[in-house]
Amino acid sequence: MMGEQAGGRFGPNLWRRLRLALVALAVALALTACADEHPLDTLTEAGPDAQEINDLFFPVLGVAIIVFFLVQGAIIYLAVRYRARRRAAAAAVHSDDPDGDDLYGDDEYPEQVHGNLRLELAWTIIPTILLAVISVFTLISLVDLNEVSAAEDDLRVTVVGQQWWWEFQYHLDGDTSTPPDIVTANELVMPVRQQVPLGITSRDVIHSFWIPRLNGKKDAVPGRTHPWVIEADEPGRYMGQCTEFCGLSHAYMRMYAVVLEPAEWDEWVQGQLVDAAPLEPGEPGYEGQEVFLANCANCHVVNGVSDVNLDDLPDGMGDYAGANAITSALVSGAAPNLTHVASRTTFAGSIFDLYEDRAERIPYLEVAERGDLNRGDLEAWIRNAPGQKANDADGARGMTAFPGLTDGEIDALVEYLMTLR
Amino acid sequence: MTTTSEPPLQLTAGEQLVRPSTSLGVFSRPTGETGWKSWLFTVDHKRIGIMYGAAALLFLVIGGIEALLLRLQLAVPGGNVLSEDAYNQVFTMHGVTMVFLVIMPMAAAFANYLLPLQIGARDVAFPRLNAFSLWCFLAGGIFLNTSWFLGGAPDGGWFGYAPNSGLVYSPSHGMDFYALGLQIAGIASLVSAINLITTVLNMRAPGMSLFRMPVLSWMLLVVQFLLLFAIPVITVALFLLSFDRLFGANFFNVEAGADPLLWQHLFWIFGHPEVYILILPAFGIMSEVIPVFSRKPIFGYPFMVFSGIAIGFMGWGVWAHHMFTSGIGPVSVAVFSLSTMFIAVPTGVKILNWLATMWGGRLRFNTAMLYSVGAVAMFTIGGLSGVTHAISPADTQQTDTYYIVAHFHYVIFGGSLMGMLSGFYFWWPKAFGYKLNEKLGKIGFWILLIGFNLTFGPMHILGLQGMSRRIHSYAADSGFNLWNMVASIGAFVIAAGVLLFFWNIGVSRRRARGSPPVGPDPWDARGLEWMTASPVPTHNFDRDITVTRQDEFWHRKWRIGTDGKVTRIARAEDVAHDGSATGVHLPSPSYWPVVVALGLPLVAYGLIYNLWITGIGALVILGGLYGWVFEPPDDPEDHGHDDHHEADPSGEAGNGANGGGASGNGEGEPADGDGARQLAAAGTSGGPVAEAQP
Repeated sequence: MMGEQAGGRFGPNLWRRLRLALVALAVALALTACADEHPLDTLTEAGPDAQEINDLFFPVLGVAIIVFFLVQGAIIYLAVRYRARRRAAAAAVHSDDPDGDDLYGDDEYPEQVHGNLRLELAWTIIPTILLAVISVFTLISLVDLNEVSAAEDDLRVTVVGQQWWWEFQYHLDGDTSTPPDIVTANELVMPVRQQVPLGITSRDVIHSFWIPRLNGKKDAVPGRTHPWVIEADEPGRYMGQCTEFCGLSHAYMRMYAVVLEPAEWDEWVQGQLVDAAPLEPGEPGYEGQEVFLANCANCHVVNGVSDVNLDDLPDGMGDYAGANAITSALVSGAAPNLTHVASRTTFAGSIFDLYEDRAERIPYLEVAERGDLNRGDLEAWIRNAPGQKANDADGARGMTAFPGLTDGEIDALVEYLMTLR
Repeated sequence: MTTTSEPPLQLTAGEQLVRPSTSLGVFSRPTGETGWKSWLFTVDHKRIGIMYGAAALLFLVIGGIEALLLRLQLAVPGGNVLSEDAYNQVFTMHGVTMVFLVIMPMAAAFANYLLPLQIGARDVAFPRLNAFSLWCFLAGGIFLNTSWFLGGAPDGGWFGYAPNSGLVYSPSHGMDFYALGLQIAGIASLVSAINLITTVLNMRAPGMSLFRMPVLSWMLLVVQFLLLFAIPVITVALFLLSFDRLFGANFFNVEAGADPLLWQHLFWIFGHPEVYILILPAFGIMSEVIPVFSRKPIFGYPFMVFSGIAIGFMGWGVWAHHMFTSGIGPVSVAVFSLSTMFIAVPTGVKILNWLATMWGGRLRFNTAMLYSVGAVAMFTIGGLSGVTHAISPADTQQTDTYYIVAHFHYVIFGGSLMGMLSGFYFWWPKAFGYKLNEKLGKIGFWILLIGFNLTFGPMHILGLQGMSRRIHSYAADSGFNLWNMVASIGAFVIAAGVLLFFWNIGVSRRRARGSPPVGPDPWDARGLEWMTASPVPTHNFDRDITVTRQDEFWHRKWRIGTDGKVTRIARAEDVAHDGSATGVHLPSPSYWPVVVALGLPLVAYGLIYNLWITGIGALVILGGLYGWVFEPPDDPEDHGHDDHHEADPSGEAGNGANGGGASGNGEGEPADGDGARQLAAAGTSGGPVAEAQP
């Protein structure tokens, strides 16, 4: 009863506008499509989990876009089609009315339709069915995403978030009840095409672990360990970011997943399993080691050199160290383990590059040999970390400044750190 | 009908009411109808509504400046407009301000001003409590904002997740201000909810059955119920947080065995109904504006009402969709994923019913209509993106990114705020007696619409490209540069649109001086609120209105013939009351609501700084309550009213429109179809309150 006047003279015009909008949309998408320039892009998946998510998301997005065009199209159509036409005669009479409200002729009323039960039931039931279909696929992918295919004795990694960096504790035999075999920070090195089960937790506030091109995020909640998995199809370096607001430097709590071919992965593991050897007087880096032991070893562990280890924490490694413990005194192990710091490509929550060259241009295992040290940022960081990255106001969390260190001591310290490959 | 001389609030057993002596002496009630005192001590729901609106607009400016600071900071990578600390404070206060101090009080403005008018009542059920709500909200809002000058604003996000909101991680007093300030503002909402629910249930005009109420009244009623049940939940959460921070309790101390997810559950059990608290009033407004400017009744009134009720119920079963990644386990995720998806159904019904209302209409695109239709269009986008993260696997990618920021701004800015701007343009002539300028209004609308889409449209892309929320800055090589710049430019376009709105108020106000009055019904509208003079006289209606159907007022102007043709039977001016009634009994102003409200921030400051101040605050509250209780129902000095207080011992409820104790103008029965009943004439005190109840 209402539709017979549809169509009409503005039809082609409307199509032209629609086409214009589509072209604009295509341009916008083209501008944003490159994965290289968007290291956190959720839409260019690089692992089966991210793939599963996008396989669900894109069809739903498609449906949403169709509904979007239908509704917006209907609004434009109704606005044009049923717009009250000003009456020339009325306009002449009321031309002194600045707002033009009276120009329409106020005795015109269309048919007073109060509703249409059948129509309304239709647009209650049809979306319900549509959503029911979507929900089936949602449940299927939810089950898939929660499936752990890795064997019990496969690699497992405990991910520990804290203000404002990530620690990764490797359990090569999958047994998380024993101390970890490898402890590293900010760079989650993992083998390609192998599902790595994660246990995600936190030492202080809530963080969220997210490598968007590999999988969705999972919160790191103190006192809880959340299971999650991660897997990559191709070797490479995938950026991550803490996504739960966690205080001052929330923005500066990044990370990378570094995905290696199996042979390289084995090589990396073997390298990381070796403790650092204490340097003797006269060896290059010895002075730096002394500076390190005097200043840094309160918080940082170098396996084999500064013996305080995560295991010495009151409740054992990986447990929540407790808010009070952290404020009263930073305990060793609540700062990144530096045993192989020179083998990493970034530091300070992955916000600074350790080497001048973008690390992805050098094979990951060779950065320590071939990379040019980013001395400026590293020295600035050692000298005055809170100046480089916001810390807690009273210095109780995050790295403190060392104004007392001389230039010579800092040079020595850097030299020492570079021996920790 | 109005023959009994019994007081309106009878004791059930028929005992004599104890009539308070007016010679208590020490207390009197304020008088005067002009000047600042008349606003400070008013209990008139219209003045309270106007003050709610003015305060909301003021806070809109503050929250808007905060938004501009955020966008300045994020316009380019590595921005240094704000420090990390300042950024965290600004985004926290932007959220808190916009949710609790802009949208909620703006909705309260419409609720206060319009609910009694739309149901044909004289005032709300508890006028002094109503004033108390206003001052309480204002006290809470000002208290919160004083934190800027007292060592730093809240910095834990509007969501205040534990344990980051705890003393260890947020050592400044900011989060104390957050916990206590929201508590005070919460009292305002809770009291107001009880007041308005009572008003709707008890004080409707004769014949105004629930299913003859306008959709706006319905939506506001649903919102009051949501508030009634949601505010206590946040109250509990805020108490726990306050005790943790102020008295060393361990509710959120993980070391002592707490689970920080407790806060998240409490916060979102409040927080998700809160979303509907923000949007349903705008839905109601749109459901009033679109029919008027489409010149058709609302399409599918029962569906509109029941979908609103359905949203009100379902809104309680979706809170954990804010927590899909927080580790609640796959079964919970599945359940909340499904419930979230299906809440889209009643919302979708509303959108399609608005479109069907426009279908076949004679659409006039006044500014009010533009904003309403714009709100439909923008809310649709927010609703659709909502479905794309109701599917929980996708939400694990989208949550806490700018995709979510885009989503809820399309809902709350595009839906709520635009809907309420529509309401401002629509009811402005009713409240102030002049229209806002249409030309400026339309220009403002398009500027706002363009700025809005420029700001929040690109955020969808940014979020899908992986830009996290609440980050102080981003690296230049993250690929976020272009759209952040666009969004920041858009934010300033929005600011221009908002400024134009304020400019429009000034211009229209100036031009209105000396112009002919706008008349009771400038839009040829449908609700009872248009059936009285503009601006609405203090006593609302000259006579009680007997309602016989939906859109009563419109049907008194127009007749639908058997052939469906609509013909005019009366002019609005002939049907509407002219507001000339005199001697109408009204609740007297009161000193005490503002006094009691003033005590609350004192208590809160004291909890933070020195418990002696708390003691003083408590004394102020106690003193205020004492004065409140022993206040005479009327001012004995006020001879304009003094012939009624005998009939009105309650001092509160009986003063409302249908309290019956009120007096009419004493003139003869008007031939306007009110027919059976008019308010009691002056001097013949009392009509049974029960008569007003359907």
